[in-house]
Amino acid sequence: MTALRCLPGVGPKSAQRMTLHLLERDRNGAQRLVEALQTALDRIGHCRRCRDLSETDLCALCANPRRDRSLLCVIETPADVLAVEQSTGFQGLYFVLMGHLSPLDGIGPAELGLEALETRLDEGEIREIILATNPTVEGEATAYYIAELAHERGIRATRIAHGVPLGGELESVDGGTLAHAFAGRRDWRG
Amino acid sequence: MRALLQSAFILHRRPYRNTSVLLEVFSQERGRLGLVARGAAAPKSRLKGLLQPFAPLLLSWSGVGELAALIAAEEAGLPIALPPNRVLAGLYVNELLVRLLPRLDPLPGLFAAYEVLLAELVTVPGEEPPLRRFEKRLLEELGYGLTLDCEAISGMPIVAEEHYRYVLDRGPLAVHRTELGVPISGQGLLALRDGILVDPTVLSEVKRLTRAALAVQLHGRALKTRELYRSGRR
Repeated sequence: MTALRCLPGVGPKSAQRMTLHLLERDRNGAQRLVEALQTALDRIGHCRRCRDLSETDLCALCANPRRDRSLLCVIETPADVLAVEQSTGFQGLYFVLMGHLSPLDGIGPAELGLEALETRLDEGEIREIILATNPTVEGEATAYYIAELAHERGIRATRIAHGVPLGGELESVDGGTLAHAFAGRRDWRG
Repeated sequence: MRALLQSAFILHRRPYRNTSVLLEVFSQERGRLGLVARGAAAPKSRLKGLLQPFAPLLLSWSGVGELAALIAAEEAGLPIALPPNRVLAGLYVNELLVRLLPRLDPLPGLFAAYEVLLAELVTVPGEEPPLRRFEKRLLEELGYGLTLDCEAISGMPIVAEEHYRYVLDRGPLAVHRTELGVPISGQGLLALRDGILVDPTVLSEVKRLTRAALAVQLHGRALKTRELYRSGRR
């Protein structure tokens, strides 16, 4: 029961329910769970190109010859990659930082694998780097840092837009977001 | 201890448990304190966008001891949007405050200086002069203010054309008196005293001085934000 509590959102009560369920009613399921976890732990590491979680040395995205190799999207977490993949139709490649610069927590460029990113920029394949870090102060600092790396090499750096969510109401949006939305307004032709 | 609608800034935030956030806060009336914001990292939390560093906030909290619980948060005026190239400077100052300010020691003067600093980081073309002025103020508020108007042994006023060596636990000494300390011109000392920092040579002298003085306070531990300033960019 205590082991299950390492999962997010699982308190003592849910842990108890899950354990009893697995032991009383679904021993096969428990066995599959054990095996799946074990295989995942044994086999899933990081892709050597993009640092995303992957079963193979080179992940499926990086190995796919149809992806546009001149576009590189820099992103914070594997969950963010899934989000972008599922909803944007982005056809380039990724670089997963596994976090953001956070000096007070001791996370600097080295911890984010930015040297590997620099090597990749130096290869000369990339024409545009899309900075898709979160719109937090640390995400912003990270984006700035990486943009500098790109500019030093004459590579175009773009930042994802931030503003009012689709279907949102201005009234209920917080001030910071609204200010960003206004600062980032675009020409509009109806 | 209960506090209502206190002017405050967030210095640092880190995730805590599932959906909560631990905040390091610098408040006008209570100084630096730690707050836990329950549920602030939940997907639909309204506080998520609000509880960001550099935004002027009104915070209410309750609790005893080192860590109080955040009850409410609202914006206090316009959010300060630091331009991307100034965010690092802001993080640097936040790191200084987190590392150097004692908890629950009200420093309203320093709070005001912090507000001025953030405003200047948005508007002033160079980030160094505001940073040096703030560092000087921080040292004063911590009780380790720099002596900038007279020579430490003779008590004679600083002469702009003279050269000095600043020995940290004594003050500026005429250059022939010692081999120790940070070399600095009279002009540099006076510029820092008046907060008027324009000349690049003066700026780099003053930077060496405040950096040395802060290093003593930091007990020699390096600041992480400094690593992010890439060599050759400043």
